[in-house]
Amino acid sequence: MIRMIRAVASLKVTLVGIIMLSVGAALSYDNRIDSTAWVIVVPLAFLSVNLLAAIFTNPRINKQPGLLVFHISLLGIVILAAIGRLTYLDAHVEIVQTQPFDPRSMMEEYRGPFHAGSLEKVQFIQGPYTVDYEPGMQRGLTFSEVFLPDAQGNSVSKIVGDDRPLILEGYRFYTTFNKGFTVLLTWIPDQGAPETGTVNMPSYPLFDYKQANSWTPTGGEEIKFWLQLQTGMDPEAKWRLDGRNVSGVLVVTQDKHRVELNPGDTLSVKGGQLRYEKLLTWMGYKIYYNPTIKWLFFVSMLSVLGMSWHYWKKMASKPWPDGVKDPEVKSDKSNMQGKTV
Amino acid sequence: MNPSEIATELPWLWSGLAAYALATFVAIWGVAPRHHVGHGTAGNINIDTRQHERLVLGLLLAALVFLTIAIAQRWVRIGHGPWISLFELLMSQLLSLGVIFTLAYWRLPGLRASAVIALPILWVLGTWVLMLDPKASHFPATYYNEWKWVHVFLGKVYLALLLLGVALSGVMIMRRFKRTAVFFTRMPPDATLDKIAWRFMMLALVFDSLMLIAGAVWAQDAWGRYWSWDALETSAFLTWLALALGLHLRLTYRIPAWISGLMIIGIFVLAFTTYFGMPYLSPSAHKGMV
Ligand code: HEM
Repeated sequence: MIRMIRAVASLKVTLVGIIMLSVGAALSYDNRIDSTAWVIVVPLAFLSVNLLAAIFTNPRINKQPGLLVFHISLLGIVILAAIGRLTYLDAHVEIVQTQPFDPRSMMEEYRGPFHAGSLEKVQFIQGPYTVDYEPGMQRGLTFSEVFLPDAQGNSVSKIVGDDRPLILEGYRFYTTFNKGFTVLLTWIPDQGAPETGTVNMPSYPLFDYKQANSWTPTGGEEIKFWLQLQTGMDPEAKWRLDGRNVSGVLVVTQDKHRVELNPGDTLSVKGGQLRYEKLLTWMGYKIYYNPTIKWLFFVSMLSVLGMSWHYWKKMASKPWPDGVKDPEVKSDKSNMQGKTV
Repeated sequence: MNPSEIATELPWLWSGLAAYALATFVAIWGVAPRHHVGHGTAGNINIDTRQHERLVLGLLLAALVFLTIAIAQRWVRIGHGPWISLFELLMSQLLSLGVIFTLAYWRLPGLRASAVIALPILWVLGTWVLMLDPKASHFPATYYNEWKWVHVFLGKVYLALLLLGVALSGVMIMRRFKRTAVFFTRMPPDATLDKIAWRFMMLALVFDSLMLIAGAVWAQDAWGRYWSWDALETSAFLTWLALALGLHLRLTYRIPAWISGLMIIGIFVLAFTTYFGMPYLSPSAHKGMV
C-alpha cells in the first residue's frame, strides 16, 4: 500500500502531470466557456492526487514548512477553482433608466449546478449614465448612476462603471460597452385600456446607423420605427454621451408616409393611437458571481508566501557562491570547455 | 500638425539606444581574447578589465537616464504612461530590464562577462522599437485601476530575472565551443553559473506568481472575470508551468549545464512571446485593449 502511494507520489509523475496540464492549457488557448473543461480538469485531478500522495510520503516536501505551505496552497487553489465553477453565475442584463433590476430579464446566463446566491434580494434602480469618448471614438470612462434602497427605504445614489462594479449580495454588476437608448411608448387602443411599454434601441454608438426597432402592442399590429438621434457625437473630437442632453425624434413609416414624432406626440394608426412619451436610456451590465474569489486571492498569496519562505531559508545563508561577488577568487579554467560539474 | 503629435521622446530614445549599443561593444571588446594580455597593450589602446567594466557601467547608466527622460517626455506629451502600445511597452521594458541588469552588473562583478549575451538581447528590443510608429495610444477606461501598477511592476522584475538567467545560460552554452568559450574565462565554473541561473529562475517564479495574482485581481475588476484563458493569460500560464517544470526537472534528474541553459532560454522565449507577441498576434488578447 505504502509502496503504491510512494509510486503515485513520484516526482516523475509530477513532470508528466505538468506536461499534461500544459497540453490542456494549450488546448484551452483563447477558449470560450463552450469548449470542454476536461482538458484542464483531468490533469489537475492527476496532479492533485500526485501532490497529495507526495505530501504524505515525501519528506522533501513535508519536512520543509515553506514548501509544504506552498504545495498545500496549490491544492487549495485547485479546490477553490472547482468550487467556483460549481457555484458561479455569469450573465448579461439590459436595464432601462428609471426601472429596477429584474433577474428574469437576464440573458446569456451560465450558472454552476450549485449556484445558490440570493439574486432575488438584489435591488436597485437604474439612473442615467454618461460615457466619455476620445477622438477616434475611443471609449473612455463610464459613469452609471444607480439608486439603492437604504434601511429606511430611501433611495441612495451611487455611481459605478468600468472597473468599479456595483456589488450587491455578492453579485458584481459591471457596465459594458453595450448601452443605448430606449423609447417609452403608450398604446391607446380604440377599445380597452392603454398600455405603456419601453423598447430598447440597438446599442449606441456601435449601431448608430441602424437605430430601428418595432413594437407590437397587445391586440395591435406591429409598428415599425426608427430613432433619429441628436447626441452630439463627433468621431473626430472628444465628446460625452449623456442621455439627458440627447433629443430623439421617432420616425414611423405609415402607408409609405413618413411621420416624425417628438416626445409627447401622438399618432393614429390602425386599431388605436401611439404616443411617444419620452426618450430614456438603457445600460447593459455583465453580472458575475463567484463566492470563491476572495479566498482564491488569500490562498494564492499564501502560496507565494510559502514559496518565498522556502527560498529565503534556502538562499539567505549564502546567496552567492564564491566567485560571483568577488571575481578575484580564481576561476576554474577547466570549465572553459563546457564540462559540467 | 498638433504640437502634441511631434514625438519629442525620440531623440532621447535614440540616445538611450546608442548608449546601450556602445555598452554592448565595449562589453564584448572588453572580454574578447587578446594576443597580448595583461597590463599591456591591446592594439594601441591601454585598457584593463576593470576600466572597460567601469565604462560599460557608465554607458548603461547614461542609457537609463536617457530612457527615463524619453518615457517622461512621452508621458507628458500623450498624457499617460507607457502601458498600451507595443512602442510604449518596448520602451519601458528597455528601461526596466536595463535597470535590473545594471544593478546586477554593478553588484555581481563575477557575472559581468555575461553582458555579452544580455545586452544584445536588449538590442533586439531596441531595433524593434525603432521600427514602430510612436503615435499616441488610447488609454482604456480599465487602465485607471491601481492593480495595473502592481501587475506591471511585478511583470518587469520577473522578465528581468529571466534575462539574468538567460545571460548565464548563454555563457554555459557558449562554453561548449572553443571559439566562444574564451570570452568567459574569468567567470565562475558552470556548476556555479547553473546554480545562480536557477536561483534567478526561482525568484522569477515568485514574481511571476505574484504578477499572475495581481493580473487576476485587475482582470476581475476590469472585465468581470479573474481568468478566462484568453491568449495572453494562457500564454502566461504556460510560461509559469514551464518554470515549474524546469525546477522539478532539476529536482528529479541531473541535468548538464548546457541543457539547463537551453531550458532557461526556452522559458525566456515563452515569456518574451507572451509579453511582446500575444497582445498583437491574437485579436482577443486582453479585451480591455480595445
Ligand atoms: C503544479 C505546480 C507545481 C509547482 C509550480 C511546484 C513548484 C515547486 C517549487 C517551486 C519547488 C521548490 C523547488 C526548489 O526548491 O528548487 C517545488 C519543490 C517540490 N515539489 Fe513542487 N510544484 C508543483 C507541483 C508539485 C506536485 C504536483 C508535486 C507532487 C509530487 C510536487 C512536489 C514537489 C516536491 C517533493 C518538492 C521538493 C523538492 C526539494 O526541495 O527537494 N510539486 N515545487
